[in-house]
Amino acid sequence: MTGATLRRRVPRLAMPGITAIGVKELRGRMRGKRAFISVTVYVVLVAGFAWMVGQILVSTAEQQMQWNPGFNSTVQSATIGRGIFTALMFLQTLMILVLAPASTAGTISSEREKQTLDLLAVTPISSVAIVVGKLLSALTWVFVLILASIPVTAIVFVYGGVAPDDVVRGYAMLFVTAIAFGALGTFFSSLLRRSGAATGLTFVAVLIATVGLSFIWVFMYQTSSSVFARRPPEALFYLNPFVAQADVACGTEGNTGSGWCSIINGITGTFVDFGVPVPVGRELIIDGKGAVAVPEGALVAPDGQIVPLPGRGFDDVVVGDIAAPDALASGRDRYWPRSALTLMLLAVGFTTAAVQLVTPTRRWRPRLPGIPRRRRTGRSAE
Amino acid sequence: MTAIVRSDGLVKRYDRTLAIAGVDLDVAEGEIFGLVGPNGAGKTTTLRILATLLEPTAGDAEIAGWSVRRNPNEVRRVLGFMPDVFGVYDDMRVWEYLDFFARCYGLPAATRKRIIGDLLELVDLADKRNAYVQGLSRGMQQRLCLAHALVHDPKVLLLDEPASGLDPRARVELRELLRELRTLGKTIVISSHILPELEELCTSVAIVDRGRVLASGRIADIEQRLRVGAVLRARVLAEGEALEAARDWFAGQPDVAASAILPDGTVELGFRGDEAGAAGLLRAAISADIPIASFSRAASDLEELFLQVTGQDDPQPGSEAAA
Repeated sequence: MTGATLRRRVPRLAMPGITAIGVKELRGRMRGKRAFISVTVYVVLVAGFAWMVGQILVSTAEQQMQWNPGFNSTVQSATIGRGIFTALMFLQTLMILVLAPASTAGTISSEREKQTLDLLAVTPISSVAIVVGKLLSALTWVFVLILASIPVTAIVFVYGGVAPDDVVRGYAMLFVTAIAFGALGTFFSSLLRRSGAATGLTFVAVLIATVGLSFIWVFMYQTSSSVFARRPPEALFYLNPFVAQADVACGTEGNTGSGWCSIINGITGTFVDFGVPVPVGRELIIDGKGAVAVPEGALVAPDGQIVPLPGRGFDDVVVGDIAAPDALASGRDRYWPRSALTLMLLAVGFTTAAVQLVTPTRRWRPRLPGIPRRRRTGRSAE
Repeated sequence: MTAIVRSDGLVKRYDRTLAIAGVDLDVAEGEIFGLVGPNGAGKTTTLRILATLLEPTAGDAEIAGWSVRRNPNEVRRVLGFMPDVFGVYDDMRVWEYLDFFARCYGLPAATRKRIIGDLLELVDLADKRNAYVQGLSRGMQQRLCLAHALVHDPKVLLLDEPASGLDPRARVELRELLRELRTLGKTIVISSHILPELEELCTSVAIVDRGRVLASGRIADIEQRLRVGAVLRARVLAEGEALEAARDWFAGQPDVAASAILPDGTVELGFRGDEAGAAGLLRAAISADIPIASFSRAASDLEELFLQVTGQDDPQPGSEAAA
C-alpha cells in the first residue's frame, strides 16, 4: 500500500451520518407500543380538550342568543369555531413547549452518561450529523404528535370562522415552536454532562424565553411614566409562541381591535386606547383627504375621529378627520412571522453551538461543572 | 517494517495538570503493542489522542500516515477504537448495534449485511443476533464493542483496557480473538495495567509512567537495554548466623543492589550486572567458601521489568500529572 493511494481525502459524512443516527433513534423511539400509546394519549387529550372548550362556547352562545334574540347564529357558530381553534393552538403550544425540550434535552447528555458518545465520535460522521440527526429524530416524534392532531383541529371547519390558511398559520407556528425549543434542549444537552441538569436548565430557559421576557415587557410598560411614552420593544415577545398564536387568532378575527387583536395591537405599538388601532407612521385614508401619514402620537377615537395627543399639534391631519374603517385594520401576518423568524434563527444558533460542543477536539471549552477545572497551585501541601 | 502508529512528543495539558508529558511511540505494522503503566500514567489520554478524541497540547501522532491533528477524519477511517469504559444503547438489538456503526461509516446495505454476519461469527455472538444489547453479559458486550470497532475493516485497533471487568474465561477468549485479529493483519495497540495479560499477547510494549514513556520495544530488548538488572537466587547451605553472614557478604559485592533471605533459606539478590558479572559473582562466592547448592537467575517477567523501570527514582518534571 503506497502513501499515494492512502492520501485520498475523505469527505465528512453528513447525510449517511444523519440517516444512521435517525434510523437508530427512531428504531428506539418507535419500538413496541410506546409510540402508539403516546400518539393515542396525545390525540385523546387534545380531542377531549377541544370538546370541553366547544361545550363551554356553545353554552355561552346559547345564553347570549336567549337574551339577545337579535344575535345571528351564523356569527355565533363562527365565534365557537374560532374559540376552539385558538384554544387548540394554545394547548398544543403548551404541550410542545414541554414535549420538544423534554425529548431533546437528554439526547446528547445521555450519550455522555452512557459513555457511548466516544464510540460515535471516532466514526467519520460529523458532529453536525450527530446533532442534527438527534434533533431531527427527536423532533420527528413531536411532529408525528402535531400531525396526528390535525384531524381534531379540522373540527373547527364544522363551526366556521377559521379559514384553512389560518390553520396552516397555526400549524406552521407549532412546527417552528417545536424546532426552536427542541434545538434549545439539544444545546443544553450538549453543554451539560447530566441529562437531569440539562433537562432542568432547558425548562428554566423555556420559562425565561416565554414568561420571563414577557413579564419584563409588562414591567417596562407599567412602570413607564406615561401611557403615551415609547412602548417596550415587541421583540421581547418574539420568543413567546403563545403571543404568536394570539396573532394567528387575531387573523381569524379580521382585526377589529378587540379580542386577541387588542393584545397584539398593544404589543406592536398600535394604539388601542380607544379601541381602534392606528399603525403609527402609516398612511391612513382620511375621508375627503385621501392617503395621509398619521403623525406619531395620533389617536383615533372609536368613531374614527383623529384626536391629538396633549401638547401636540397636527400639520397634515386636521383634528376631527374621520379615518376610513378599512384603513384602521392593520394587515394580517404582521407579528407572528417575525416571531417565527426569530425562533428559527435561535434554533440555528443553538444547533450550531451544540455542534461546537459535541466536536471532540474543539478548541474552546467553557468552564462549567463537570469539566475538569483549574487545579489549585498554591504552595501549601495537601 | 514501517511504523503504522507513530507519535512524536505528544503532550496533553489540562490547565496546570500535565496528563502526558511527551509520549513517543513507534508501532510497526502487524504488531500487538502494549501500553503498560499504573493507573493515571497517561495510557488512556495517549489512546484518546490517537483516536482523535482529544487534541494534543503539543506534538503530533500519525496513524497509517495521517496526522491526528490535520486529518482526523482520515484517521477515523483506518482506526477502530474501543474505550476503557463504554456503554451500550438501550433498545437496540445486537445486529442493529453493528448496523448502526456500519451506517456511520457509510457502508452500503449489502456490505453491511455481510459484514455483520461475519463479525458476529468472529466474536462468537452469531446466536445473539436478535438479543438486546443491554441484556448481554459484560464479556459479550466487550466482544460486541470489539466487533463494532471492526465494521470498517480498520488497519489499526486501539483497545483501552479491553480485559477490565472480565472473568478469566472471557479474558482467554478475548486473547484468542486478538491473536486471530493479528493473523488478519491488524495492528493492535492495547493498554493495560494487568501485566500478565499483556505479556502473553504483546510483541512489543511501552512502559508509561507519569505521562512519559520510560521504555519501549520488545520485552527482551527493554530488559537488555535498560540493564535494569536481574534477580539472582543463591541457595546457600547454611542456617542462622552463617546464612546471614553469607547474605552480608553478597550485599558487600559490587553491582548487588539488594539482598534478602527468603523463608526457604534462599538468598535473593537484586543484581545490576550482566551475565558475565553474575559468573564473576558466583566465582567470588565459591572462592569465599560460601556453600552454594544452586545459583540461578530468576526469569525476569514483564511485571518485574515494570516495577524496576517505574521504581527508578527520578522525579519527572510533570510529576503532578496524575489524571
